[in-house]
Amino acid sequence: MSLQMIVNALVNAALIAPPAMAFSLLFGILRFPNFAIGGYITVGAFAAYTLNVPLGLPLPLAAAGAMALTALVVWGTHVAVFRPMQGQSAITLLVVSIAVTLILENVIRLFYSADVRGFDIPLQRPWKIWGARITPEQLEIIVWSLLIGVMLHLLLAHSRIGRAMRAVADNPMLAAIRGVNAARVTAFTTALCGALFGLTGVFAGLDLVIEPLVGWNLTIPIFAAAILGGIGSPYGAILGAVLVGLAEEATILVLPSTYKIAVGFVIIAVLLLVRPQGLFGTAEIKK
Amino acid sequence: MKIEWTRRTLLASGVAALATPSILRAQDGEIAIGSLTPNTGGGGPFGPNITASHKRVAEAVNAAGGILGRQIRLYQENSETNPETAVRAADKLINVNQVLGIIGTFSSSVTLGTMPKCQSANVIQMCTSSSSDIPIADEKGLVFNFQPLSPIWGRAIADLVLSRGIESYALMALNNDFTRSMMDGFIERVGQDALVQEPFYYNAGQSSYRSEVTQLMAKSPEAVFIPSYVADFTAVYKELYRQGYEGVVITTSLSTGEQFKETVGAAGDGVIHGFPVPALSSPAYKQYLEEVGLEDTGSVQHPFGTAGRDQMSALLLAIEKAGTTDRAAVARAVWDVTTGEGKTTVYNIADGLAALRAGEEINYSGASGSLEFDEEGMVLGRDFQLSEIQDGKDVVLQRLEF
Repeated sequence: MSLQMIVNALVNAALIAPPAMAFSLLFGILRFPNFAIGGYITVGAFAAYTLNVPLGLPLPLAAAGAMALTALVVWGTHVAVFRPMQGQSAITLLVVSIAVTLILENVIRLFYSADVRGFDIPLQRPWKIWGARITPEQLEIIVWSLLIGVMLHLLLAHSRIGRAMRAVADNPMLAAIRGVNAARVTAFTTALCGALFGLTGVFAGLDLVIEPLVGWNLTIPIFAAAILGGIGSPYGAILGAVLVGLAEEATILVLPSTYKIAVGFVIIAVLLLVRPQGLFGTAEIKK
Repeated sequence: MKIEWTRRTLLASGVAALATPSILRAQDGEIAIGSLTPNTGGGGPFGPNITASHKRVAEAVNAAGGILGRQIRLYQENSETNPETAVRAADKLINVNQVLGIIGTFSSSVTLGTMPKCQSANVIQMCTSSSSDIPIADEKGLVFNFQPLSPIWGRAIADLVLSRGIESYALMALNNDFTRSMMDGFIERVGQDALVQEPFYYNAGQSSYRSEVTQLMAKSPEAVFIPSYVADFTAVYKELYRQGYEGVVITTSLSTGEQFKETVGAAGDGVIHGFPVPALSSPAYKQYLEEVGLEDTGSVQHPFGTAGRDQMSALLLAIEKAGTTDRAAVARAVWDVTTGEGKTTVYNIADGLAALRAGEEINYSGASGSLEFDEEGMVLGRDFQLSEIQDGKDVVLQRLEF
């Protein structure tokens, strides 16, 4: 494996780690795999595009705006769709979340058409380091991804709301008895995850192209990373993202590139067979 | 007015129809034709021109008294360049509007997707699609393709780039029939020896194209050829640029429209692209420009709008020639009015109708090309053009005339 492939894998990982962490956090609180993340990421990408290109805001401001808007959309979807369905089985909610992603995607398509778009920033030529090539923009994505990992760690481990999030994820009933306001924790978590999905939309728009399917295309690698790391474990999600990134890069050495998309599925299948709780997850005891 | 078709009204209208003299019935009935065009989606830049051409020809014919004494009724539907939408629309055109033909389908997936319904209802199809599966799937001889099949694209683009003295290529294509067979055509012309490595494919909708691009550039080829569509090509090209590729990037013009240029900005300069174009020197093309109200700039305008004009013209001329709206007879007549030597060449529908009515044999030569069909209904040849993006605009490098 060349150094370039490792760089490629790291950029892939930086792109999918934040949403994989957010997916894990959401799962921890809401207890179902939320397929709506594809739609959320697409909303983030288009929100940033609208602020950046038609409205002419600089990209960092547009990104902040997109994060805020996506946070609002994710929270709003929770209040309007998932909260009224609380108590339904995880499978029901999963199917509903697929519907949500289709609805969001098609609303975007209605207003923006299926055309491809990009942000108003010039493409950059790479720096060459020991034969490997990386652009400043890709380096920024990696740094941001790391920062987000650290900030999430601090939030979860050392803040009051973080402890409350972990408490609700661990045992909602016990947390409620101990006086944790589950509704507020849920609202905070959905908004926080929404912001991360929004940011992913921005990164994906930079890395790929902005089109209605941009979020959907990332969904399987994000799932694979979250499941690999152990669903509900944000740190596991980071490791999962790196491993998925490396696996996708390594595939092309041994298999035709058209099979790359299947790598995510294979990882999910093998892991569910061998270690269903993921690398970092703890096995759930069903009573 | 909305008519409720109950069994009773059906019976009543049936009896009424039988009671009417047959000649009158023919005059009363309009000839229904479906226009199914990519007004949005991947074909969005081209669809509206095709639609407008269909309308323009139909209106002109109607104003001059119609065909076989009947008016043309055009039903327009948007395929969204999406086979699912297109199949629903075709269903409506066939079953509700009872169209004689569906014309204007653009992407191969749409043409192929709507074909089973059209075949079973004996509906004529006219398209600008390139998949080699189209003539195979057409079992009844009802499909006419106004665009060359994709291996021809590959060969023509290769012929055009060969003269540029490039010696080594790496190839990577989107994994679908159109682009795969285009790559095969390209290899036929440049030769296996010019390839620095095995050609390979990628899927649309990948979460990244990094490893593919790394592999494509690995042996430092002078040029890369990437048959593709705009969404995947834009993402692939961004990655090529970011990984510092400085050779020549070659693709089809379908991938490098305004969307691509706007998305990549100045980084898109230097991309070379080719596709079939109208015969710019043909009288039919010049007439088309006048009909649309465009100046003759000497460069290609409305690459698919011209085909739209030709589809409607060929179909209506064939109905006139057949003297009936029987679909099989009309389909056979399409060859009669477009293909073969020793006939009166006509460049527009008005002249064509006049010649047919004067008892002459005609050969319609269109704005999109001279329009000669092989026995499978595939157009035999088209002009090709190679352009380069310079300062965000297409600059014509070369043209290959058929």
